[in-house]
Amino acid sequence: MRERLRELFLVDLLRGLRLTFSYQRPSATYTEQYPLERPPVAERYRGAPRLNNHPSTGETLCIACNPCALAYTENLIVVGWERTSDRKKMLTTFTYDLSRCMFCGLCEDACPVDALELTQDFEVARYSREGLIWDRSMLEEGPEPTRYTR
Amino acid sequence: MAEATFLDSNELLVNMGPQHPATHGVLRVKLRLDGERVLGSECVIGYLHRGVEKIAENRTYAQFAPYTDRMDYVAAVTNGMGYCEAVEKLLGVELPPRAQWTRMILAELQRIASHLLWLGTHALDLGAMTPVFYTFREREEILNIFESYCGARLTTHAFRIGGLQYDLYDEFETDVRKFCDYFPGKIDEYEQLLTTNRIWMERTQGVGVLSAEDAIALGVTGPVLRGSGMHWDIRKAQPYEAYDKVEFDVPTGEHGDTYDRYLVRIQEMRQSVRIIRQCLERLEPGPIFGKVGKIIKPPAGIEVYHSIEGPKGELGYFVVSDGTVNPYRVRIRPPSFLNLQALDKMVRGHLVADVVAIIGTIDIVLGEVDR
Amino acid sequence: MAATQEVARFLSDHSLVEATLKIVVVFAVLSGLVAYLVYLERKVLAFMQARLGPMRVGPWGILQPIADGLKLLLKEDLVPAGADRTVFLLAPVISVVAAFSVFAAIPYGPGGWTITNPNVGILLILGLSSLGIYGIILGGWSSNSHYPLIGSFRSAAQLVSYEVAAGLAIVSVLLIANSLSLVAIVQRQQQMGAWNVFLNPVAFVIYLIAGVAETNRNPFDLPEAESELTGGFHTEYSGFRFALYFMAEYTNMVLIASLAVVLFLGGWLRPFESVRWLSLLKYAPAAALVGAAVFVLWLGLKSRVRAERIFFAALAMGCVLLAAVVAMPAVLEAIQGVFWFTVKVMAILYAFIWYRATFPRYRFDQLMTVGWQRLIPLALSSLIVTAIMLVWTGQRLAPLLVANVLGGALTVLILSARQDSGRFRTIEGATR
Repeated sequence: MRERLRELFLVDLLRGLRLTFSYQRPSATYTEQYPLERPPVAERYRGAPRLNNHPSTGETLCIACNPCALAYTENLIVVGWERTSDRKKMLTTFTYDLSRCMFCGLCEDACPVDALELTQDFEVARYSREGLIWDRSMLEEGPEPTRYTR
Repeated sequence: MAEATFLDSNELLVNMGPQHPATHGVLRVKLRLDGERVLGSECVIGYLHRGVEKIAENRTYAQFAPYTDRMDYVAAVTNGMGYCEAVEKLLGVELPPRAQWTRMILAELQRIASHLLWLGTHALDLGAMTPVFYTFREREEILNIFESYCGARLTTHAFRIGGLQYDLYDEFETDVRKFCDYFPGKIDEYEQLLTTNRIWMERTQGVGVLSAEDAIALGVTGPVLRGSGMHWDIRKAQPYEAYDKVEFDVPTGEHGDTYDRYLVRIQEMRQSVRIIRQCLERLEPGPIFGKVGKIIKPPAGIEVYHSIEGPKGELGYFVVSDGTVNPYRVRIRPPSFLNLQALDKMVRGHLVADVVAIIGTIDIVLGEVDR
Repeated sequence: MAATQEVARFLSDHSLVEATLKIVVVFAVLSGLVAYLVYLERKVLAFMQARLGPMRVGPWGILQPIADGLKLLLKEDLVPAGADRTVFLLAPVISVVAAFSVFAAIPYGPGGWTITNPNVGILLILGLSSLGIYGIILGGWSSNSHYPLIGSFRSAAQLVSYEVAAGLAIVSVLLIANSLSLVAIVQRQQQMGAWNVFLNPVAFVIYLIAGVAETNRNPFDLPEAESELTGGFHTEYSGFRFALYFMAEYTNMVLIASLAVVLFLGGWLRPFESVRWLSLLKYAPAAALVGAAVFVLWLGLKSRVRAERIFFAALAMGCVLLAAVVAMPAVLEAIQGVFWFTVKVMAILYAFIWYRATFPRYRFDQLMTVGWQRLIPLALSSLIVTAIMLVWTGQRLAPLLVANVLGGALTVLILSARQDSGRFRTIEGATR
């Protein structure tokens, strides 16, 4: 009988209506207005790659050892080096093809020093495929941050 | 087809998808209709085929792990976990407890996230447009936890063969606990909108009935099988990780209709919260990596089949080793692909609107069906 | 000279100028209202779904309808191959013309606030609004595509069934009012001192449900069910013609709401007219404007963009000025009726949007079941009860109300008696 009465007075529907009505309070809004509000990005986020320099000397940390290029088979990383007079490897070029990257972090894992890093920058869209092939200077300086104004 | 005469009705062939809002991706269903009644259906799949199994043969064991994330992309953590466990079984590696508990917490969170996505889109298919926003909001919280843990939200690549790549971040426990505390209340909200709603009941009860015998014969697993009344959960039947050390119930339905499958999944989310709570209790500091060499090279000629209970059903990996760094063969048993076989059986005799409900209730992800 | 006088006399006799002016004003206001109804719907839906809705075009997305309209106007007008070209191009026009022309007979306020007051107003409205269905059927049929075809089938069946229920609900109002003229119906409610909704709440509920179904809105939005029919009858339409369908749909929403207000909620009448101490409600228009000003000011204070703050401040100032104008006794008296009419219409439109945010969609056979096996018997019983009570006790509030509520409840119980119990299922986990 109770069920019948509940059904008669549309209690099931009214409960739903109450819920949606209560959600109109401004504090319930979950939207993040993206270009105006920057989302907080986690520390470990795997975004645009960066080739780190030593903070004080400014020299590259990369020892041109090559495991990052081997960590992933798509040949998206190409490391170029030459031998110095004392047979040490010196990094010359470093290209990173973002169009083939799936941001899995395997290259980062493979790096024995702290040179290659996937950073928190997530705005890596470019207008051309060529724009996604980043060279050494791009990787070291990082992409220019996009500024949104209104 | 015979020549049409006056007042003679013809079969109508309607092509549903691959571009259709309710086929959850690029599924194409050829429907034979009599008016609005479905006489038969035929699934056309393969629009998202990427040859994942073949790719595996050209990658090292570690390199293939990120690819598994891209099959069932709404449950990447569980996919990766299944693959890592299969290879660990191949190598005979034991995991340290901390790694096991962490994996279980993340896998259960992923199960909730996957069910939330299912719930939202399923309700959207049936015309209720609000639950999808509520469920996505909670899913967002889970994805935030994933992002803080492993740096990615969707295609996580969260685990490595032999353990975890990262230890848990500092606020992990408080984050997960906070989620576990408020999430059951949110499930109540979804239920307030749907469970007792008369329209929802009329749309789902008695729709797409699948008997237990049919379900078993078709190889259906997961919530769809449990909705038909079968008590079958890999976590109970063949416990992996440490599922034998936690307490949880396996919800089962009775009628095997869409409503029962809905109730089963809602209940599963509550059970997942229960499992996560227990895992958090047991989580202790310790090593996170088992004894695995830098280069993974299993002995030649071993083959292993390992299956786990994914959010959508039994997710199996069959890995054959030939002694090199690449697997000789990886065969994947995706739950969605086999569950989809039940579609034709379930839609016959129903109306077009029910086809949408039934596709939704099977909970397919086309990335997994087509691989 | 004589000719000019002739023309002037002709015009004043037939009040052609007045009517034309009114038509232009109503059309303009209605078009704007419909455009902003879409904006309102998107905003309300968004807030109910923990979102913000359109925010990018203008402050708080206030220019969004204009942007949408421009976009639709500039889009390519596509005619699918194999479509019946003439019918395809004409169908949306039928829909929109039928939807707009109905508003000629709606009384927005007392006295001169109507364009025309035919003595068979309600019949005219029902007849004209039913014409709109031709636009939908023809549009779906001429598209030469399966989904629109199914959508228009559904639409035809749905409108026919729910028109019956709505019609029966209206008839019980007509019995009470003893007239087919909308103005007379409202005046009757004034004389009675009670709106029809209190005389016959069952008919009101039936009318509202049938109204939702007639406007193809959730939970009865089967003809366009996005997730099933990818848009229904207007799947193949694009650009301006799609905009016409869209306008017709929202105009129909306004129409159903206006009719509900006129028939059941006392039209332009102020609530509690007979209660002395509530005559303060007379100042509601001014108060509403002041309230709007405060709200807008609050929005402006929250905004971080300088231009937006200035805009909102100006808007608030405008609202306050308008409130001062409205507070003048003469103006207050003049707009009283139309203000309350608008408020009530808005309330019903809000309810329509609220339903859409909350409910799933019925299936087609269930829709028919609800229409034929629930609503029509209920409407019939309510009609019979009303008729009996009118003959027996005359037009008195209490007996009519009690009899209708009891009759409605009894009918629902009888109707649902056959239904299987045990629909309420729960499941518990099983551990093994």
